[in-house]
Amino acid sequence: MKRVATMTLSLGVLCAAYGANVVKAVKVRSLHGLRCGAYLVRKYAHFTPVVLYPQTTLHLNDKKANELNKDAKAIVAKVAAFTDGKKVAIIVHWPDRSKDIYKGYKSDSYPDGFAVQFAANATNPQKLPYIGMGSDGRAVEIFLRKAYGQSVYEPNGNGDVAHQVNPHNTDYFGKELKKFEKEVQKLGVRPYARAFVSEGFRSMTEIKDGSVTWRSDMCYNTKRHIWGGMVIKPIDDAYSKAAKNELAIAVAVWDGKELQRDGLKRLSSWIAVKLPHAKNRALEKVVSEKVRGDVAEGKKQFAANCASCHNDKDFHNAPIYMAPDLSNVGGQATAAYLRESILDPNAVVVPGYNRNQHPSYAWYNLKNGKRVSIMPSFSYLDAKVVNDIVAYLQTQKAEVAK
Amino acid sequence: MSQRQLAMVMDLNKCIGCQTCTVACKTQWTNRNGREYMYWNNVETYPGDGYPKKWMELGGGFDQNGDLQPGIIPNIEADYGVPWDYNYDSLAHQNLIDGKPEAGWRPETSPTWGPNWDEDEGAGEFPNDNYFFYLPRICNHCSNPGCLSACPRDAIFKREEDGVVLVDLDRCQGYRYCIAGCPYKKIYFNPKISKSEKCILCFPRIEQGLPPACAQSCVGRIRFVGFLDDEEGQVYKLVHKYKVALPLRPDYGTQPNVYYIPPVDTPPKFDENGRIIEGSERVPIEELEKLFGPAVHDAIKTIKEEREKRKKTGKSELMDILIAYQHKDMFRLDHNYYAQVAKRKGMKPLPLVDERYVAGKYTKADAITSFKVQA
Repeated sequence: MKRVATMTLSLGVLCAAYGANVVKAVKVRSLHGLRCGAYLVRKYAHFTPVVLYPQTTLHLNDKKANELNKDAKAIVAKVAAFTDGKKVAIIVHWPDRSKDIYKGYKSDSYPDGFAVQFAANATNPQKLPYIGMGSDGRAVEIFLRKAYGQSVYEPNGNGDVAHQVNPHNTDYFGKELKKFEKEVQKLGVRPYARAFVSEGFRSMTEIKDGSVTWRSDMCYNTKRHIWGGMVIKPIDDAYSKAAKNELAIAVAVWDGKELQRDGLKRLSSWIAVKLPHAKNRALEKVVSEKVRGDVAEGKKQFAANCASCHNDKDFHNAPIYMAPDLSNVGGQATAAYLRESILDPNAVVVPGYNRNQHPSYAWYNLKNGKRVSIMPSFSYLDAKVVNDIVAYLQTQKAEVAK
Repeated sequence: MSQRQLAMVMDLNKCIGCQTCTVACKTQWTNRNGREYMYWNNVETYPGDGYPKKWMELGGGFDQNGDLQPGIIPNIEADYGVPWDYNYDSLAHQNLIDGKPEAGWRPETSPTWGPNWDEDEGAGEFPNDNYFFYLPRICNHCSNPGCLSACPRDAIFKREEDGVVLVDLDRCQGYRYCIAGCPYKKIYFNPKISKSEKCILCFPRIEQGLPPACAQSCVGRIRFVGFLDDEEGQVYKLVHKYKVALPLRPDYGTQPNVYYIPPVDTPPKFDENGRIIEGSERVPIEELEKLFGPAVHDAIKTIKEEREKRKKTGKSELMDILIAYQHKDMFRLDHNYYAQVAKRKGMKPLPLVDERYVAGKYTKADAITSFKVQA
């Protein structure tokens, strides 16, 4: 731990209030061998509280999970970053009463897990990708780690057919059989850590060709009931790059006890990670923008203009499959995104449900192979009304769990 | 909807519940690599809880508006049943002289459910009105699959050329919404690879001229396989011409492509004194209507009429088909069609393994000269 003594600590003054979502990366000499519960993290990480809100945009079809997540509350995670100049380490701590590890032969249990996503391009903070999944032309790179207590196997065993037969179907016995089973175990992959690139719902694709080198770690503090997660990746790689020494990231966590996976998760809004020498404040402003407007008036305007299609915490008049549910949009979307979506719904078209799933509620039409949102532009509203609606939408978020 | 649809018809009047199909499928596909608990093909006793336990009550499928319904994901131990081993080791190594030898095989676990747990139990009161029949089930390769609709990753697709529903294991991330979405619970989670897997209608066999393993091995010859648009095929005739083969639980709205010929003329009930109640049927028509929809009445009527016709005139195409004389007529796998599809995709058509079942809409019967296994 000698390098700790020589590292330069950047002690910027940071706003610690929830919603600020700005993380200052601490410069260290090396990230080599860093683990999530390491002394370096405990001693020098500069944690920023980040609220993670339940994902409620889509209603998924798992009855038990839906019951468990009906009144899901937001949680406060803490995010910190280290950098050695070439790589960046993102560290996430989040509360979780139960340590859920996937182990054994089970069909209906899920592990805890977390993911860190990086906007492919954050040069224009007004046009960040759709949070969580990215969007057309605005890709995200996602690093996922799940708490598996056992190896996972590739479906084709990486082409090794000989070790995929049932052991009872081999002619091995005793020692030979044990040897065979050892060979089989060698095909297992540990830990469950996957990288993806995504340009919107259902376009998420696993990066399997080794074109990104990264690693991750997870650790659970049984006394304080806190998970720690860490992702280390190059600041610039083939899929995402820093913009003016800043990174736009987002964090998602899954609670296995609540049967969470995929859309059932808790997700942050965009977080600005400031690398050393970051002078630009544009991204920081966007991620922490709190719109000043007349919330009560915004609610009236929402009722008049939006509530016929969108449900949220206050309005439940629309069929639930009609349009994205906005109950947590204030916690997950930036004000810039909300504004853009009202004025130019085609900038980011959320494909939503599988089109077979609720065929009467298509969220978009296809024109020349491009998705065109069925939502009309509300650019005719005057600027104050839009501002009030955005101010109202920013109040749309679940309570933070005590 | 795919361009063409391969379908299967199962004649429930002839199923004897021997599980040869189950074993054929198991040894072919599911005896390894995390699939040990799965039965892509199973034969359950109806009425009964089935496999997985009470699958008809686990949700999924579509409502009248075409909206996917939420469902429940079964538990391996409680609902599917964990494949267990027996106490071979302790039996083999026990001290037969000094110790107290234990007798007999015992499962190593204490199972509470498994496939066929309630085999032959049925319903009603023995011997007066008890009844059951066997219900073989595979993936229905639906035209509107619940699993495909539920997948948030677009990892499930329906093959354009023959409508076989498959999981793209590169895209699947094991979320299991498909299991909740399938009302037949015929898609399974593989814990070893952490992805979903399901019946593939033996497409690698079909492409080489072999019927699905379950169909070819069926000793009761209850299974017909062919394309639904092949008007010369027996599948077409049973489903569309005579309309005696019906989809299971059409009310789920998934438009299944496995069709069943309902049990016809089930044995009569007995009264309190053990005498036959003339004209009674053990299998209540309401149960059949629940399983196969209101069309079951017409289907049963047609079969009875054709049978009478056969008795009187000696002729009935439907009866000839149901007798299932020749495998080569029961299975029409249209090999030339698959060869054309392969060529269109720039792939090399697979060599034929068996020439007996290759006839079809695009493969004329006279193209087949003789049966020969290619070297």
